[in-house]
Amino acid sequence: MSMQKHLRIDPRTGLLLLVMSNIIAFTQNSFSVETGWILFLCLLAAFCGCGRAAARWLLAFCLLLGLQYYVFPVSAKIIATSFSIFANYTRRMFPCLIVGMLMVKKTPLRDLIVGLRKWHFPQKLIVAVSVTLRYFPAIREEAGYIRDAMKLRKIHGLQKVECLVIPLMISATGTAEELAAAAVTRGIENPAPKTSVVELRLTAADGACILAGVLFTAASCLIR
Amino acid sequence: MASNNLNRGLTGKDLITVGIFSALYFVINFIFMLLGGLHPLIWILMPGFIALFSGIPFMLMCAKVQKPWAVLLMGIITGLIYFVTGQFTVVILVTFVISCALAELARAVTKYGSFQGNTAAFVLFSLGMTGSPLPLWLMRDSFLSQISSQGIPADYLETLKAVSSPAMLIVLFAAPVVGAIFGAYITRGMFKKHFVKAGIV
Amino acid sequence: MISIEDVSFGYSGEHGTLHDVTLKIRDGECILLCGESGCGKTTVTKLMNGLVPHFTDGCALEGRVSAEGLAVAETELYELAKRVGSVFQNPKSQFFNLDSDSELAFGLENQGAAPDFIRTRLKETVRNLRMEALQGRSIFSMSGGEKQMLAFASVYAMDPAVFVLDEPTANLDEDAVKRLREQLRFLKRQGHTVVIAEHRLWFLDGLIDRAVFLKNGRIERSFSGGEFFSLPERERIDMGLRALTPPDGALPPALPCGAARGLSVEGLACGFGKGEPVLRALSFSAIPGEILAVSGKNGIGKTTLTRCLCGLMRERAGTVRLNGRRLNRKQRAKAAFCVMQDVNHQLFSDSVFGECLLAAPGCTDERVKEVLNRFDLLPFQEKHPMALSGGQKQRLAIATAVLSGKELLIFDEPTSGLDYAHMMEVSSVVRRLADEGRVVLIVTHDREFLRCACDRELELREEGL
Repeated sequence: MSMQKHLRIDPRTGLLLLVMSNIIAFTQNSFSVETGWILFLCLLAAFCGCGRAAARWLLAFCLLLGLQYYVFPVSAKIIATSFSIFANYTRRMFPCLIVGMLMVKKTPLRDLIVGLRKWHFPQKLIVAVSVTLRYFPAIREEAGYIRDAMKLRKIHGLQKVECLVIPLMISATGTAEELAAAAVTRGIENPAPKTSVVELRLTAADGACILAGVLFTAASCLIR
Repeated sequence: MASNNLNRGLTGKDLITVGIFSALYFVINFIFMLLGGLHPLIWILMPGFIALFSGIPFMLMCAKVQKPWAVLLMGIITGLIYFVTGQFTVVILVTFVISCALAELARAVTKYGSFQGNTAAFVLFSLGMTGSPLPLWLMRDSFLSQISSQGIPADYLETLKAVSSPAMLIVLFAAPVVGAIFGAYITRGMFKKHFVKAGIV
Repeated sequence: MISIEDVSFGYSGEHGTLHDVTLKIRDGECILLCGESGCGKTTVTKLMNGLVPHFTDGCALEGRVSAEGLAVAETELYELAKRVGSVFQNPKSQFFNLDSDSELAFGLENQGAAPDFIRTRLKETVRNLRMEALQGRSIFSMSGGEKQMLAFASVYAMDPAVFVLDEPTANLDEDAVKRLREQLRFLKRQGHTVVIAEHRLWFLDGLIDRAVFLKNGRIERSFSGGEFFSLPERERIDMGLRALTPPDGALPPALPCGAARGLSVEGLACGFGKGEPVLRALSFSAIPGEILAVSGKNGIGKTTLTRCLCGLMRERAGTVRLNGRRLNRKQRAKAAFCVMQDVNHQLFSDSVFGECLLAAPGCTDERVKEVLNRFDLLPFQEKHPMALSGGQKQRLAIATAVLSGKELLIFDEPTSGLDYAHMMEVSSVVRRLADEGRVVLIVTHDREFLRCACDRELELREEGL
């Protein structure tokens, strides 16, 4: 498994990095803090095995800067006024997007759940969220079947929307029923504190990431 | 047995139902959110469009789980997924918690079963999505100063100030209200046409 | 030990799902519950695992049920879950995690078992059920059979004394059924009590200690395992039960390509994206009036063939001809129709009649009614398609295909989970379609159905045909 060669960060570290990215997005005023933070996150992504994606993020960031500094000031008013704020917002969101991508690509669902549990998120919320995440692929699968069926039936235009949505919803109610039966017969309602085979441990790398995050956040708040 | 269940709060079955319909709601939401990337104005109106088209999963969930906390759960799930995947700021979680708390209140007052009550809840719930473009206003000053430092002409900047004015903020909040009311009526039509007749609600 | 005493039961709105059912099951016994669809056998399984009454709103239950010393009606489901494990019919809707390892641990984690204990138990489970190949897999890369095996294993991991299985083979192919048979045999050896409600019966020969036959919510007869499997053919059919012996015997092979009438496929190759072709150099014919079965192991390309013939997928090489005329992908989508395994995905309208008009907009009312009548659907023309029974939905999908003038009809696993009567009904419907001159292909791993309904067999193997 190539996974072992890469750095793995704890889902809780990921969540903390997200929170700190948010604080930085709302407070930062210094160009060097901003780029420093993005460079740090891209480096982290690369160590976690997302090197290509990290490179793409960096490239996108440079393009965005070019757009803001060199293209908008000289382009037509309608374009500049439409997209300036938008571009700025996207730029502020970059750290969040990078950490988000890292979470989606490298954090197994069960690790995230164990992480949330360790932070004492309510069990009911955790059950519901995990069902939501588990159901996404099922929606895609079913939508595929329904689209196939529509192709064999000459269904056009707005009708398509209704024909896609209604079977999806009806099948969802059925699945909810069956899934719930399977869940309760496997003790999902057991009030005992849940355990997990997965044991999360914060490593030195996690500590370093959190420390870096705290420093950047502090810098972002202080440097005006 | 049945009355006993009602008192127990959300059961495993309720949680699974909420989870599944949250997934469907999120998918619809996400498809429209992608469209919002085309132009900022579309983005600002997006909570309204989402409300127009996402009534079915919300209302089906309300019909299936006539208990407190279901709507709050759905809102937190949506906000949490958007937050954790880095697509929106933490503001969206905050707006969803506030709007869903109000929606829960609306449902509690109307005893969970009525169309009007659930429509009111849906309007409030839909306001949660305003947390997606809201940072534009929260960060407005910082944005404008940053943009002006990027060498953008002064009259451009004036237009930008106008576009991001508090008036637009009203549009942002009015859109989901209008959208949700229309969305609720579309959903009622679908309920009559399909779900009631098919015997699933 | 399970004891059901004088139980009568009705779901909300209806009465009399079960009448005066009394059944005692000793520790370590293996019991089959059989009977037609709707006879109440699934409900009996729910009495044991507690879904009745705990999970069924507004039901009326009389009588007493106890399992492993627990009074079912007074025990929380999560307590019951430790002693009574349940496996259900649909492999798609029994899991909560996206990977197999999490799924296996799910039940024990819910109980709050110690992580070390869970790890030991999971190792045992994998070893005992010989499911090394399913470790560390994404659920969405697994076939229906593998998913069902995982569902079984994750219940086994909880080590319940009693296993209750409700139609576990409904969506399984023959290999998977045989594997399940081995697993059940293993459970028996370990001294577990097993209760299994099923339509497919042959694989239980030599496994069950007793067979309980239900009819209209009553226990009609009870047999020892030996008695049951030596029932005369006649009696078995009168009871509405499916075959007791493994269906064997081969059908004549499919005709070679080049038929002037009907479907002729020559050198067909298909595949996804840039990957290896799933099908290569496949050639055969299917003529009007004959029913061609398409069989083969899971993952061999049956679905790919269906999708390609229906024009849902482009061919990489080869030709498809219908009545001598070569059809491209779009033309195939016009000429062919597929009745899907889950027919819920292909009914869209708000009434049976509307469904027909949606399929054939130019059709006169008389014509629609005529076709509906032929498929025994006329009395339901105002009903919502989703309010129909499974068999009716299937026939409605066929009716839409007939109305829109499709010449090539393909059925994907039309008998999964059907009892004897319904299997025969499907068989007579497809026969009629063939007699009317349509080309009919049936993808199936149900050999009993294949033997009784089809004329020829195209068995897909590795390396094409």
